[in-house]
Amino acid sequence: MRKHLLALGTALALSPCLMAQKIGVINSMSGPEAPIGENITNGIKLADEDLRKKGINLQLVWEDDTGKPQISMSAMEKLATRDGVVGVVGPYTSACSNAVAKLAEKYRVPLLIPAAAKEEITRQGLKYVFRMNAPADKYASSLIDAATSLGKPRSIAFIYENTDFGTSTTKTAKEYVAKKGMQVVADEPYPKGAADYRSTLAKVKSKNPDLVFMVSYVADAILLMRQSKEVGLQPQAFLGAGAGFTTTEFAKERAISENVISCTQWTNDVNWPGAKEFGARYKAKFGKEPTYHAACAYASMMIMAETAKNAGGDRAKTRDALKSGKWNGVMGEVQFADYEGFTNQNNHQMLVQQILQGNYETVLPAKFATKKAVYPFPKWK
Amino acid sequence: MAVFLQSLISGILIGGVYALIGIGLTLIFGVMRVVNFAHGDIMMVGMYLTYLLFTLLGVDPFVSVLISFPLMFFFGGFLQKVFINRVLNAVAQNQILLTIGLGLIMSNTVMLIFTSDYKILTTSYSSSTIQVGGGVSISTPLLISFLITAAITAVLGWFLLKTDTGQAIRATAQDREAAQLMGINVSRMSVIAFGLGAALAGTAGALISPTYYIFPQVGGTFTLKAFVITVLGGMGSVVGATLGGILIGVTESMSAVYISSGWKDVVVFVLFLLVLLFKPSGLMGKSRT
Repeated sequence: MRKHLLALGTALALSPCLMAQKIGVINSMSGPEAPIGENITNGIKLADEDLRKKGINLQLVWEDDTGKPQISMSAMEKLATRDGVVGVVGPYTSACSNAVAKLAEKYRVPLLIPAAAKEEITRQGLKYVFRMNAPADKYASSLIDAATSLGKPRSIAFIYENTDFGTSTTKTAKEYVAKKGMQVVADEPYPKGAADYRSTLAKVKSKNPDLVFMVSYVADAILLMRQSKEVGLQPQAFLGAGAGFTTTEFAKERAISENVISCTQWTNDVNWPGAKEFGARYKAKFGKEPTYHAACAYASMMIMAETAKNAGGDRAKTRDALKSGKWNGVMGEVQFADYEGFTNQNNHQMLVQQILQGNYETVLPAKFATKKAVYPFPKWK
Repeated sequence: MAVFLQSLISGILIGGVYALIGIGLTLIFGVMRVVNFAHGDIMMVGMYLTYLLFTLLGVDPFVSVLISFPLMFFFGGFLQKVFINRVLNAVAQNQILLTIGLGLIMSNTVMLIFTSDYKILTTSYSSSTIQVGGGVSISTPLLISFLITAAITAVLGWFLLKTDTGQAIRATAQDREAAQLMGINVSRMSVIAFGLGAALAGTAGALISPTYYIFPQVGGTFTLKAFVITVLGGMGSVVGATLGGILIGVTESMSAVYISSGWKDVVVFVLFLLVLLFKPSGLMGKSRT
């Protein structure tokens, strides 16, 4: 009996070295954001597989925030205090990430946010908060640059969800078009879940804008484009800033999604190391194309797990290693830098894509492009 | 001008569907003096019924009304007999708690079954339109649902005015005790009225699903809307609810154009408060002492 106890004691004493690294994941696995959250889940599952192949034993602690900041925050508290994770990857939405970021700083847990767009998250000088994806201002500037390189738009209309993501993306977009000398002819925030956008769209139509810039999640993105077709809104280009406009659900609605230009953090035809292979593996395993969220989540988990392991499971050391490290993988070159008021922000190269024949095709920047862009937007059938 | 007409038309069309939800609520209130706070959730059940019929059996959402109307009628009748009937003479707070509770159970059950993901019904005509000239276009599915709403309202009007059962329902609504003394089976009328109310809400759900999206918590928004419509039109008045629905639809769409879409709810509620201030019994309501 005593021998057994002794053995048990030794095992317990040794266990920190043998025990798997605990990494927390906060994601929107159910709720309105679940269709996008699923991509993040799948990306992390693939990372988990690859890490195991590399001999990094990983114990993931999954938390579902259902897209609500308050649930996200309690998940973070649980991970930081009860589960004792080394680092956390997630959450998905901007509102959740912003809420959780402050907690990460409070508990000194390295947080790597894979795909939230709001700029402010990495602009608060938080030392423990890192972000993989390019923030919202990049969406706006890449899209508007794409439009000006394809044609000569002079006016622009904004239609966006009146949430963190919508307003912050639009605010930076407005500042950017002001610099470009473009005229803002309509500025329409809408409450999420309104049944009828027709009147708003009819108003936008009457202003006859050259560009229509929309920021929405998936259900509203489909509804907005459907109703744009109904009222006959006919700009030179529909620009969809991320989220809802870059999902396969949206691309499937071919009657209304064809030729919509969006920009994204990642495509599966870009020539970043391992990107094509990641796309193929993802499709084979999950039966659908990965979105940029999946690649962001994959890269985030790979970096977080490797760093945590090299730091021996120490939170402060993990943070320092994330800060000083440099990686090159499916998301291209990754480095968490301080620039233009950002802290620990990966200065990521955005890609501009267009839905052609129901598929997302990279159309800009030229060195990554696979197809030529269709511009201006063809007449509605 | 085109913008004005466009928003007026879409306001009227969407208002028609609102009216259908409001009529159901007002009918239930009229007969039982119970405010049904589960109304939006009953509508949500109707939406999921349509969704199931469409995805599993390929039944067109508009045709599915023929199936969902009777099903929802029995569902409503069941709710009345088993739950609502027991609180008919209870204080108002208890009635409110009961209906809110029923609504929560419905939305959470649906969430367990279907998860809280948004569902979108894509029919061949989901994004088709009819051009009426002058740059104004009408959404085909919305127009069809408005026509069905109008037909249902007309049939309902005929039923309430001309048939014996309809007259009995109206008599019960006017004075429950007097109706009982005249030999009307008022508890049966209550079951029928609640069944009709649920069927109308379910139908509204079916009609709106080709142009809207479906999720378990969708009910809350519509309960609130139905409540505003009913109070605005006068509690218990079917004509009032129809008017109220269209008024709310048009106000929403006009304020989205001329003020801002973010402010349209504010405009609706200011209008609501003004009506209550100057005509506390609602547009078509008779004050009851």
